[in-house]
Amino acid sequence: MSEATSMPPPLDPRVFDSEEFQKDPFPIYKQLRDHHPIYHDRFHNRWIISRYWDVDGAFQDNESFDRAMYKPDGPYDFGSRHVFGPNILEYGNSDEHRRLRNIVAGQFVGQKLQDFLPMIDQISEEVIDRFIDKGEVEIVSEFASQVPIRVISNMMALPREDEDTFVEWYQLLIAGLGFGGEHLTRGLQARNDMWDYIDPLIKERSKNPGEDLLSRICVAEIEGSRMTVEEVKGFISLLLAAGGDTTEKAIANMWYHLLYTRPDQLQDVIDNPALWENVFTEMMRYDPVVHAQFRYTTREIPLYNDVIPERAGVILYLGAGNRDERAFKDPDTFDIHRDDLHMGRENRSGRYKDGKNGHLGFGIGQHFCMGYAMARQESAIACSKLAERIKNPKGKMADHPGISSPNIDSGGFRSPQDLWMTFDK
Amino acid sequence: MKVKIDKNKCYMSGECYYNHPELFKMDDEGYPIVLVDEINDDAMKKHALEAIEVCPAVALSLEE
Repeated sequence: MSEATSMPPPLDPRVFDSEEFQKDPFPIYKQLRDHHPIYHDRFHNRWIISRYWDVDGAFQDNESFDRAMYKPDGPYDFGSRHVFGPNILEYGNSDEHRRLRNIVAGQFVGQKLQDFLPMIDQISEEVIDRFIDKGEVEIVSEFASQVPIRVISNMMALPREDEDTFVEWYQLLIAGLGFGGEHLTRGLQARNDMWDYIDPLIKERSKNPGEDLLSRICVAEIEGSRMTVEEVKGFISLLLAAGGDTTEKAIANMWYHLLYTRPDQLQDVIDNPALWENVFTEMMRYDPVVHAQFRYTTREIPLYNDVIPERAGVILYLGAGNRDERAFKDPDTFDIHRDDLHMGRENRSGRYKDGKNGHLGFGIGQHFCMGYAMARQESAIACSKLAERIKNPKGKMADHPGISSPNIDSGGFRSPQDLWMTFDK
Repeated sequence: MKVKIDKNKCYMSGECYYNHPELFKMDDEGYPIVLVDEINDDAMKKHALEAIEVCPAVALSLEE
């Protein structure tokens, strides 16, 4: 009760722009949860929610917290703020969103996903072949960033001989998003090269569609008409960023935690590869790739002793909710054997039959990550394939600067910048 | 026609009520509640059939 009655210590909102926060946001998250469960950040003109059940509640209450900017007397304002142009993530609560989501969502779950697993196996092995004789690997560039993009490229049935070029474009594009400056210039060039490459493929698949993902996107009808070539490109960009970049960072973060946060649990995973699923789940709780989701209120939201006004921007800090003592014991301990976290597959409802709490790393509800099953399977397969082929894996550097989000424009995707590992064969 | 939910099979994925809020909503635990008791128009039947198809737990069915 003292939380509500005593004056909370002040929190300077400029801390959210600091390098310190990008590197280690968790002390600030705790301050938010304990003293400002609803925080009005006047400096950035937004509100912040950080406790587990409040973040969960906002995700569940999609009517009140809209993904798109809400305009009572006009259309959704989508596309204007995204370098790739309009995309599904900005369609908010509209029926369009459900239609667009359903075009591709089915590709990433169930039998379709099962059909892709042998291909993920094969791609993982091929990527590992490239460095296995060296006795060391830089996990981010030589492993993590190689696998997901090759998988997506295969799902879209791009010619395999062009895969290396595609990976190169993708890496430049992601670096451009993440670091800006000269990286951005090179990233935009890579994007244009990628568009020039994919343009004739879009035209061809629109005429003679196959069963692949690119064809499906090309021929999908939204309210009776197909997407334009530009819209298809926007959709593909989203798949590359949301499906490739996040999964790559998930894989890197999993290895980082086993090499540096809990080297004592690395051997457990090597002895029992089924535990890679736990590593994935605990990573998604402890320090997920994405820490924040944005919403706009469609009505006044009374919460604790405050009221968020209508049409206000709200940050849902799922990274903070995941460390909430109200939901998890010893939340600041990374533990793949945790008994209070639902370790199996994630549910869009955020509710589980075992009564345990789930991580919030994929969001919940209407905008729940549609690639969740793919991300989980792909990460677990790629990691277990690598672990199978090496002995005595160790972090090469005694100290590692750790995980951070390089730049807010990258979406704040968190990962180590590089991660060297040595091993025996 | 009625939509039937097998609660033993259902693992609360949430796909039915998030994809078809016209026909389902979530209860306090996470299970779906069917909002339309008797399915008799084509639009609602389409929602029902799609929900049955996307249910990853194969927990939904239509009964005469």
